[in-house]
Amino acid sequence: MKFGKRIKEQIQESLPEWRGKFLRYKELKNLISSPDPAEFIFIGLLNADIDKFNAFFVEQEEDFIIYHKELQYRIQRLVEKCGDNDDETFREEIDDIRKDIVNFHGEMVLLVNYSNINYTGLAKILKKYDKRRGGALRSPFIQKVLHQPFFKTDLVSRLVREWETTIDAVFPASNAEAERGYERSAAVSSAAAGEGIFRNTVAALVTMREMRRGSSTYSAFSLPPVNLSDPDLVLGRCR
Amino acid sequence: MEARPVQRSGSRELSNLARTSSIPSTPNPSSAPEAAFMRPDHKPLGQQAYHLLSSSNGGSVGHICSSSTSGFSTNLHYSSMVSHEKHYAAASSNNDSSWCNGGFLDFPADHQAVHNSSQIEDGCIGIGAAFDDVQKPNDWQEWADHLITDEDPLLSTNWNDLLIDTSSNSDTKDQKSLQTIPPQPQTVQQQPSPSVSVELRPVSTTSSNSNNKARMRWTPDLHEAFVEAVNSLGGSDRATPKGVLKKMKVEGLTIYHVKSHLQKYRTARYRPEPSESGSPEKKLTPLEHITALDLKGGIGITEALRLQMEVQKQLHEQLEIQRNLQLRIEEQGKYLQMMFEKQNSGLGRGTASTSDSPSKSEQEDNKKTADSEELAPEETRKCQEPESPQPKRVKTDN
Repeated sequence: MKFGKRIKEQIQESLPEWRGKFLRYKELKNLISSPDPAEFIFIGLLNADIDKFNAFFVEQEEDFIIYHKELQYRIQRLVEKCGDNDDETFREEIDDIRKDIVNFHGEMVLLVNYSNINYTGLAKILKKYDKRRGGALRSPFIQKVLHQPFFKTDLVSRLVREWETTIDAVFPASNAEAERGYERSAAVSSAAAGEGIFRNTVAALVTMREMRRGSSTYSAFSLPPVNLSDPDLVLGRCR
Repeated sequence: MEARPVQRSGSRELSNLARTSSIPSTPNPSSAPEAAFMRPDHKPLGQQAYHLLSSSNGGSVGHICSSSTSGFSTNLHYSSMVSHEKHYAAASSNNDSSWCNGGFLDFPADHQAVHNSSQIEDGCIGIGAAFDDVQKPNDWQEWADHLITDEDPLLSTNWNDLLIDTSSNSDTKDQKSLQTIPPQPQTVQQQPSPSVSVELRPVSTTSSNSNNKARMRWTPDLHEAFVEAVNSLGGSDRATPKGVLKKMKVEGLTIYHVKSHLQKYRTARYRPEPSESGSPEKKLTPLEHITALDLKGGIGITEALRLQMEVQKQLHEQLEIQRNLQLRIEEQGKYLQMMFEKQNSGLGRGTASTSDSPSKSEQEDNKKTADSEELAPEETRKCQEPESPQPKRVKTDN
């Protein structure tokens, strides 16, 4: 029940064109609860969703790859334009690029999150199915899922990390600034809680933490609680 | 890329940026306007495709299911695991192929190694972005109707028939799809040399099959080769898919892949500003809000970006951790199940296939305990490695 609610929230918070691409958790759950859930129907739905994940993920990934390159070119061009001047005339362009980098990073992370949420949902729904039907569907099915394209997020993660490294070079380092920033995180987060990547990201973090807090069906297959390095940073304020 | 010490001046920041990111040395000759924030339009059909198969139209899927009982042996791969093989073996591959391609339009089944029973792994992807030039939106209604009304015809119906304008003989296609070659091993994604860096799935039986519209997974290296080819042909406007394909000389790459990729590429480069295209909603970033806040003495844009970045980084970190855990858990489960099965066959639980035994014992176990794992919970706990999960419901200081 909890996950169903969580994934629903996630979907609501997600970028609009993503919303139809998630696991149909509720439907599947209803199917399981029905008097005679036919296995082939259940599996059919799962497979349909997996197809959907794969297609969406791979397509997004392709877009990211293209954009990744373009962004690099943009930066290079701007560097060439700026030359070595400390000119403030380019400040706007620099800010613009910086914003784009952050948003790009964010969107990629959200894709990884997308993959994970759907995988988690699959694992959970399979568990429910086995429980209801006393079957052994979960394990082999999950093994197959692990090989699905949408689950293989390595490339996107790699790009994410690359940009993290890159962007460190773009932001001025200032501990004092950072601290002030943290104090005002509440203001920011409430302001930023409009649409967009930021809100979606925060929602994802919250979801993850909640899901791993401990469940009634805690088992060997459950995950430990989330360990955040800076839990108060946003989560404490954004709840 | 390595991190460099942070500079304060704008231009130096940028040159750092340039150094740290692996920017290719060849600047892009075609001076395109600044690529606006990415997110080329998804082909509307893509949306509709998904819409039909997923979410709110789940009803239609349900319909399909009920109207044709054998229509969905997608699970062919799974069925072998779940000892339903007999059930579906007959209904087999036709449905297999059709279902797998269910979501995806121009997906001629002949090369679908997907239908190889061992192969869900290279799954059923297929939604070529190439299909947008093939279908009109209103065809979807037709398609849905077909599916709902057709019954057994679904068995032999090649879904692609309904979906593509240019479909060849459907049955033949399906037949061909049966004679699948073994799934292509996962090719390394990051291979530098373009010649074999294509991770194609599935692989065509006849490599010269120009109808191969299999979904392809692009890599940065492959894309770089693509860009080079495009540039050498005079830029994204002048380059043609055929020309680019020829230039790239990548085995397994088809003109459809190139075509759709080129389309994306063009869109990414010439895209108008976000606010002009589609719903502004999706383009809204927190910065718009931040700016207003700024005036009230809130934190600056830079800081807001920082915060956003920080949150994103955290999420990513958590995701990676979670993923690793999940993988470990499954690995362990797999191992334990294997042991369990060995035990069972060792005890001579009989002539039943191995897959039967676990399910029987599981049923017993499930009755015994509330735990719904496939392995006997007692055994699980016994066999558990010391470092694996977890303390029970320890509330961490979150």
